[in-house]
Amino acid sequence: MVKIGVVGLTGCSGCQCEILNCQDALLKLLSKVEISLFPLAKDDNLEDELDLLFVEGSVSTSLDRDWLLKLRERTKVLVAVGSCACYGGVQAQRNDEVQIEEMVKEVYGSWELPFEVFKPSPVSEFVKVDYFLPGCPLDKKQFVYTVSFLLNGVKPFFPKIPVCHECKLSENECLLLKGVPCQGPVTYAGCGAPCTSKGVGCQGCRGDCDFPNHEEIISILTKKGLSYEDALKFLKVFRGNTFRVRRVNEKGA
Amino acid sequence: MKKELNINHLTRVEGHGAVDIVIENSRLSEIRLRFTEGPRFFEVITRDRLYTEIPKIVSRICGICYVSHRLASVFAIEDAFGVKVNRGIELLRSLLTVGEFLESHSLHIYFLALPDYMGYPSTLAMVKDYPNVVKRGFKLKEVGNRIMKLIGGKTVHGENILVGGFASIPSREELEEVGRSLLKLIPEIESTLFFLDGLEYPEFESPHEIEMCLNSPSPSLFSSEVSLSDGTNFTKREYELFVREEVSPYSTAKVSKVKGKPFLIGPLARVNRLELHPKVLELTKRLKHSFPSKNSHLANLARAVELLDVAYRGVEFIEELLSLYPFEPKVEVNPREGTGFGVKEAPRGTLYHKYTFDSEGRCIGANIITPTAQLQSVIEDDLRALVETSLDSEDSEIKKRAEVLVRAYDP
Repeated sequence: MVKIGVVGLTGCSGCQCEILNCQDALLKLLSKVEISLFPLAKDDNLEDELDLLFVEGSVSTSLDRDWLLKLRERTKVLVAVGSCACYGGVQAQRNDEVQIEEMVKEVYGSWELPFEVFKPSPVSEFVKVDYFLPGCPLDKKQFVYTVSFLLNGVKPFFPKIPVCHECKLSENECLLLKGVPCQGPVTYAGCGAPCTSKGVGCQGCRGDCDFPNHEEIISILTKKGLSYEDALKFLKVFRGNTFRVRRVNEKGA
Repeated sequence: MKKELNINHLTRVEGHGAVDIVIENSRLSEIRLRFTEGPRFFEVITRDRLYTEIPKIVSRICGICYVSHRLASVFAIEDAFGVKVNRGIELLRSLLTVGEFLESHSLHIYFLALPDYMGYPSTLAMVKDYPNVVKRGFKLKEVGNRIMKLIGGKTVHGENILVGGFASIPSREELEEVGRSLLKLIPEIESTLFFLDGLEYPEFESPHEIEMCLNSPSPSLFSSEVSLSDGTNFTKREYELFVREEVSPYSTAKVSKVKGKPFLIGPLARVNRLELHPKVLELTKRLKHSFPSKNSHLANLARAVELLDVAYRGVEFIEELLSLYPFEPKVEVNPREGTGFGVKEAPRGTLYHKYTFDSEGRCIGANIITPTAQLQSVIEDDLRALVETSLDSEDSEIKKRAEVLVRAYDP
């Protein structure tokens, strides 16, 4: 039987909860696979080989790193789930603004933590990641599709089109045109645009779509009343590390 | 002779924790509950962010109780800017809390705690023998999720929970539908309650002296006043004067005390006040176990009691919402310089958020006190009491008992 694992590094467990929220699909899945590692939901976690492992959370400590490295060794296909595992998560949004030592000092005083603490990083900075399912949290349907694709020997593929695409399919009015700050034009779709359907701008939780035009979205956001710096921070919340790199490149170019 | 028992990775809890038990010459010499969760520095990552970004960021503190974190931050920001919302918005926020408690409490009862009492390693392993019990757990969670998705936009981290209200509100028909599904759920919750009442809980008396929760009859109703079981009441502005935080040498969560003592928060502390919905109070009289109780394991039963309370309240919230419908989904928000405070009952206990803003509404200071941090001391004291009475038992048995106890708190 195919062996599946679900683990969380540093994060909020929201993605693991979404996986549990798959309910009926999960029950059906249990006849085809064995969930042999899932510390959030079970005691009898096995140490043997895994065919498929879903990793939630950022690598923020030496404990995260060591566990991840060990897990990679016994895993055939590793999938990073959620924006923490894919991009570093909200905890990485100030990686380019403050040093980790400063953050520790600020929250815990001068005290040293009981283990090594790193700048929050995506899983791919430490191990090879086979597939990425971003989102805060990941999209449940994409989780179910990924498992079923892989069980049938098909590579999971989710096109990196912008959220605007799905927003139009939902027949929503454009929020940006109405003056609501929205990251739809630069954000990876696949969520079905639930936020914009409620009238809230896209917050960019799934990271970049293909060929995102950051300069243009910043210029639109500043025209809608955000300052340049606030627009940058708005875009950085979930893009963490990945956004900083692009910003530096663009300024340098 | 010295021996050390370690539970290095607590399973079936949200987050990462470990327990160390040191026994010397057949006496307990040390007990440590360590949260090994990587720090995420929420007080720092909210810095320099516009107030509109704060609820979204702090939502990510907890994927299970995000509604509470979001609302506590919203309350604090509205307090700082002097914003007053209308009754409709307040009711929708209460209804969101109903959804959150349904989801979180049933996740805890059915998926984290129940396997201990049924003798299984996990709920998924129970599917074959108890398919209907597992399905009931899913059903309860599903209704909670549906409420959160309907109002917030998503089941986890719904973005439509904003300072000043909501970008849009559900339709009359959607609210009526939620009302009907809550009514249909009530018998399922009653079955859950009697089922949990029928379980065998270990005999245990927690040594804690103080219990704390908001001064409100239901976790779905909000209050700015905190109440201690010794009769003291204090305001949200006085929170840090009463709940004193210290850094722990071995845990990434800070340790809190009230009046120098560990204190109980969460479902058991709330249910022990016996101020629940009258229909729920009536039903609890028929239970085998009674409240108030000092048996920490009964937090699981208290969760089921609260499920029923929030379901009844939810039906009432919807009735009132429909009578007010339509109402303005959002009130005007004008940022100003100052500090605001927000308190809220999260599923695991009282939650405190404080933010300071500059005149443009950028956050220049934050303090968040989570249930996990406040529970650390009381759980350690409980573990100490538990191990001291179990010293004659096998090591594996001591470890098992410790795990079951910690899990009752789900820190």
